[in-house]
Amino acid sequence: MIIPRKFRVMREKKQHREGPYGHLFESYDGDEVVSLDCETTSLDVKKGEILSIGAVKIKGSRVKTSDRLDLKLKPPESLCGESIKVHHLRAVDLEGGITLEEALPQVLEFVGNRPILGYYVNYDIKMLDKFLRPAFGFGLPNKAIELSHVYNDIVKWKHVGGDVDLRFDTIASKLDLPILQRHTALGDAITVALMYVRLKYGQAPTA
Amino acid sequence: MTAEFNIDNLPFSLLNEEEMRVLKNNLDIAYYQQGEHLITAGEPPEGLFIILKGQVREVEVKDEGEDEDEHVFVHYSNEDYFGAWSALKGKAIHNFVAEEETIAHILPTKSLLELVYSNPRFGDYFSRTLAAKTELHDEHGGEDQGMAEFMLAQVDGECMRDPLVILEGTSIRETTELMREKHVDCVLVKKGPRHGIVTGTDLLNAVVLKELSRDSDVSEIATYRLISVEAGDYLFNALILMTQQHIERVVVMKDHQLLGIVELTDVLSYFSSHSHVIGLRIERAKTIEDLSTAAHGLNDLIRSLLSHGVKARFAMDLISAMNERVMAKLFTLLVPEDLLGHVCLVVMGSEGRGEQIMKTDQDNAIIMRDGLDWPDRDAALQRFTEVLIEFGYPRCPGNIMVSNPYWVQHLSDWTSRMDGWAASCEGDAQMNLAIAVDAKPVAGNPALFKAARNWFLRKLQDNDVFFSHFAKASLEFDTPLTFFGGIKSKGQGIDIKKGGVFPIVHGVRTLAMQNRILETNTFKRIDALIENGTMKKNQGRDLVEALSIFVQIRLRQQMIRFDNEDFNESPNMIIIDELDRLDKDLLREALHVVKEFKKHLAMRYHLDR
Repeated sequence: MIIPRKFRVMREKKQHREGPYGHLFESYDGDEVVSLDCETTSLDVKKGEILSIGAVKIKGSRVKTSDRLDLKLKPPESLCGESIKVHHLRAVDLEGGITLEEALPQVLEFVGNRPILGYYVNYDIKMLDKFLRPAFGFGLPNKAIELSHVYNDIVKWKHVGGDVDLRFDTIASKLDLPILQRHTALGDAITVALMYVRLKYGQAPTA
Repeated sequence: MTAEFNIDNLPFSLLNEEEMRVLKNNLDIAYYQQGEHLITAGEPPEGLFIILKGQVREVEVKDEGEDEDEHVFVHYSNEDYFGAWSALKGKAIHNFVAEEETIAHILPTKSLLELVYSNPRFGDYFSRTLAAKTELHDEHGGEDQGMAEFMLAQVDGECMRDPLVILEGTSIRETTELMREKHVDCVLVKKGPRHGIVTGTDLLNAVVLKELSRDSDVSEIATYRLISVEAGDYLFNALILMTQQHIERVVVMKDHQLLGIVELTDVLSYFSSHSHVIGLRIERAKTIEDLSTAAHGLNDLIRSLLSHGVKARFAMDLISAMNERVMAKLFTLLVPEDLLGHVCLVVMGSEGRGEQIMKTDQDNAIIMRDGLDWPDRDAALQRFTEVLIEFGYPRCPGNIMVSNPYWVQHLSDWTSRMDGWAASCEGDAQMNLAIAVDAKPVAGNPALFKAARNWFLRKLQDNDVFFSHFAKASLEFDTPLTFFGGIKSKGQGIDIKKGGVFPIVHGVRTLAMQNRILETNTFKRIDALIENGTMKKNQGRDLVEALSIFVQIRLRQQMIRFDNEDFNESPNMIIIDELDRLDKDLLREALHVVKEFKKHLAMRYHLDR
């Protein structure tokens, strides 16, 4: 999975290096990370539509909640019972949303060439790529940081045998962190950001 | 985001919608490891910190090379905030260190300043005076305020009647006609520069019993010793005055000018609680059984006052007056009438100061005229103590009660013993003295008590060594500021009497004695100390608020335990976990005030800690 993405990014970099979004393809040398989360109508990338996008910057051990992105999109036609159950988002909750065409440039602007952090982050990136590619001709080239991998890398040394439980709520409670608004894009992005900061700067949790 | 940021807490709930948006848009979240500094002394802090999860201690900066343990001032835990003061000053004076892993919201200084300027009330909250803070809390209190306002009603035009004033020389007949015409029950008679009062009963007595003629001058039968309240005083105090003096109307004065009359019925229509009914029952009691029913009704009264949000400080005034009446009445029931003029029953300690709410331990004594022979004394006094226990006033653990002959003394023995205590440095003697100087006469002949007190105060005048020694006790116990959040096992508490109440009460007592202030109530002592310039107004106000907070919080927990029939815990134990954040906040501020006051005492009396 990861190798094809790498090739694709290389090819798109060649095509867009000189274009208006060329800076996205430059390698990043700052100390910021963007924690990003999308709420969607389906867990299947092919069928899914994006409902909202939340993102927050992390600088060092600080979650910059003052520097954040909180986008609600117009409800897609496919908004159905199944996803309502997952996100507790109904069409009425999405009233006053913006269109995807308006949202995507804002996402690119906010993220820039910073690494993107997420919980099952590849899903969110693929989801965004699905809509980015027809409109801009490229997908997100950013380095991806998978929270559950970061967690696993740290915890497995403390954990003898068996599999590490990588469920979102388990990680949050192992790290003894408050879960902010679960199932809002921004709330999840912030929680993931806190988990990341905690893992990076705090003591390793006991598994 | 920031649903986790509780905007319902003061001071943030003071912000309007737009300001709230500024707040939310500028908050960051920071993560700190154990031992990491959130704010470092000497550096400008980033802003206001609000703890989301974790614990932070505020510590004094150590000088280089010193090996002493760092001195911890305060612990902060979830939802507490700190750093505003440092942020506003631009420089921190203490270190703020993460006690454990901590996640905190940070409001940058720039945004904090913006909010402070746009919302002065929000800004006030960070000014350090406790009095200003409690005022904000009170305004913010919500629906419970209705009753409190009611109880805090002042003597003014609304409840006051215009007096019917007649001149000297008016006849009894004319007076009666006038009263009938105006539908009033009393008139004021002006005789020269003085005013006297004449009631319907006076007229009746004059005509029927004394058989005066209807043409006689009404100024002959008036009472010229008027009991008065100042305009603007609490209506509540007028009620207490009436209860104490067994009268039904008081005159309202302003700057020595007569303004009007407040009648008992008027006051009663203001108070929906049945305080006066109990007062009347106590008064009318002819037997100990009657008195017992009335005394037992006091608990309900306390509860109803509190559930209506009446400040403990004001409830204390009323309840103390009631407790005194119970004791006075019982005393007159048990002691032969011909002896009453020769003995004086005094209540001491917190009762003497009028600072009890729940019925607490009996602390009482008797001063007798020198040379008085009272044959059945022991039996009568033993009975007095026992009946009070039946009424629900527990036995004093230190046995400071009239049933103990040690506390029943002739005047000269009483004074010489006070003198002996004052000269002694022993703990017991100092404690007895502290209890005795708060004495207040409640029954019998108060002149005996006054003689003893005045003699003693004169004796102590200018005895700086004594006061210095006496003051020392207020520094004896540490003020438990570090307990907040620092408590490891749940359910632990702090002894509010040692940590907060006693230092204030004793410190104020010392200052009051030195200034020969006769009041025994701590609040009134503070007022008097401010008046004569011994105490700064701000300091006095903060002390008053701090003490009120201790009393209020203690009482609330006491009530809960009383309801749960949990009598194991000392009434002075405050369980921190059971306090809500506002109370914790206030309690912490109040303890700060105590700490400052102790410093002040140490300076003034040259005490080394």
